[in-house]
Amino acid sequence: MWGLRISSMLWLSLLVVVLLVLPLVVTSRFAIDIFIRILLFAFIGVAWNLMGGYAKQLSLGHAAYFGLGAYTSTILQIDFGISPWIGMVAGGVVAMLASLPIGALCFRLRGPYFAISTIATAQVLMLLFLKFRDFAWGAEGTTIPNLGNAPLMMQFEAKAAYYYIALGLLAIGLAITYRIERSWMGYYLVAIGEDEDAAEAIGVNAPKVKREIYMISAFLTALAGTFYVQYIYFIDPNTAFSFNISVEAALVSIVGGVGTLWGPVIGTVLLETTSALLQSWLGSGFGGIQLTVYSLILIGVILWRPTGLLGVFIEAYRRIVRADPSKQAALDG
Amino acid sequence: MAEALVIKNISKRFGGLRAVQDLSFTVKEGETLALIGPNGAGKTTSFNLVTGFYRPDTGSVSVFGREIVGLRPHDVCAHGLARTFQVAKPFGAMTVLANVMTGAFLRDKKPDGARKRAREAIEFVGLTAKEHTPARDLTTIDQRRLEMARALATDPRILLLDEVMAGLNPTEIDQAVALVGKLSKRGLTIVIVEHVMRAIMAVARHIVVLDHGQKIAEGSPNKIVANPDVIRAYLGTGYVHVATPGAT
Repeated sequence: MWGLRISSMLWLSLLVVVLLVLPLVVTSRFAIDIFIRILLFAFIGVAWNLMGGYAKQLSLGHAAYFGLGAYTSTILQIDFGISPWIGMVAGGVVAMLASLPIGALCFRLRGPYFAISTIATAQVLMLLFLKFRDFAWGAEGTTIPNLGNAPLMMQFEAKAAYYYIALGLLAIGLAITYRIERSWMGYYLVAIGEDEDAAEAIGVNAPKVKREIYMISAFLTALAGTFYVQYIYFIDPNTAFSFNISVEAALVSIVGGVGTLWGPVIGTVLLETTSALLQSWLGSGFGGIQLTVYSLILIGVILWRPTGLLGVFIEAYRRIVRADPSKQAALDG
Repeated sequence: MAEALVIKNISKRFGGLRAVQDLSFTVKEGETLALIGPNGAGKTTSFNLVTGFYRPDTGSVSVFGREIVGLRPHDVCAHGLARTFQVAKPFGAMTVLANVMTGAFLRDKKPDGARKRAREAIEFVGLTAKEHTPARDLTTIDQRRLEMARALATDPRILLLDEVMAGLNPTEIDQAVALVGKLSKRGLTIVIVEHVMRAIMAVARHIVVLDHGQKIAEGSPNKIVANPDVIRAYLGTGYVHVATPGAT
């Protein structure tokens, strides 16, 4: 209905095999780095999409949760020696708890006002971490102590290990989305996104549903934050609470198709690949030319296909299937 | 017969405007009551007050003996009081079935159970053929049918219908009247806001007339059409003597 209803397990298993084998075949560190970025941002997009896509609550402040996840696990690791694997979950819980007061404030507003207020929450958190130096290293940030190959502390010499963690996160995010999409919650989210009053009138507790999905979304985003600082071995407020994270989370979903299972993944593959390739081709030329081309591509996609690229693929698929009546039944089922 | 919906002295002001003043009426279980009045009389506001979208400044509303003032709309719905909107509000991106299932989830959180309930409601309003149509592609009357099916799927005991016949052609009005009659036969208590007099006469045996937020008359259809206050409210003072000679 909203997701890609091509329930052929064959394609999915093929995709999984390719993704699992990929780092064994591709050995270029540059390529693996791009893959990791794609998986990570696809995961952040999937987390954002639960709230921003299905329930159409356009948050531009998900960096708040990314940063809280990153800082929680880093503080636990450096100050208390606790493994980032545990810190990751702790960060998720901190983000979940933070989403309650933030949601209570921001959900009073609707539409663009909601979006602006979420930007403010991420900025406020960034400023707090900048100013309170004793608490978490202030503007200088800190490097994460390199322990060599320490899987229990989420540190690996092989880049492929990070790839598999990111892949695992994305798989978790997609599985959660899949479950939610097919349950009452998925229907309630779309209903709230379509018309909150009409949803309330038929028994949907809109504030509660929004609060719950915001908590899930914040939790997942925080996991990405922990992973990211472990991957780059560095944290400071500008990295952890970067506005770019918030924008990217929304952008990959919007380009790929909001409120769809695979939309954020497709959006990230397109945007990250384009951006990486442009950077390596044009990066040494005129200053900023790669950003200009990137922006033009973005404008093109949004003008040409405002519902996202997934819609294009589904339509193309339908057209092919319609030519072959024997496959039509499979599509409806 | 039991009292299904008891509205006592509810009032609502918006700034200086008294939208509803001291309104009271009672709907008995199983009856169909029509709420009529000129534009701006406070009919839709009354619906919003009863269903929790607005909170009355004063007064009480009870559903089968339970006070519901102060409850949020979804709680009111859970108490068995469902409504439709004057301007239909379908979830456009969803199919008809998904729309109605969303309502059905109130009573059954399992998709299979909700789907079954939803299909029953869809069949009841006669939309089965369009089950998989996206709601935004429906015609006006089908959108109204969808609204009724969605409300019905929440398993209400009382149904508030807000101008379900506005914008329909005469044939469609007959269909809608038949549908309201069918709902009533099913045992539902119905409150209907309507402008189409032909429809009101066909479905309601009890009418409440509002003007400027106040109840100006209440009674059977025959009594209402002869009531000088009602004629004054609808047509102006000059017409009163025509309908009831000597009344002025």
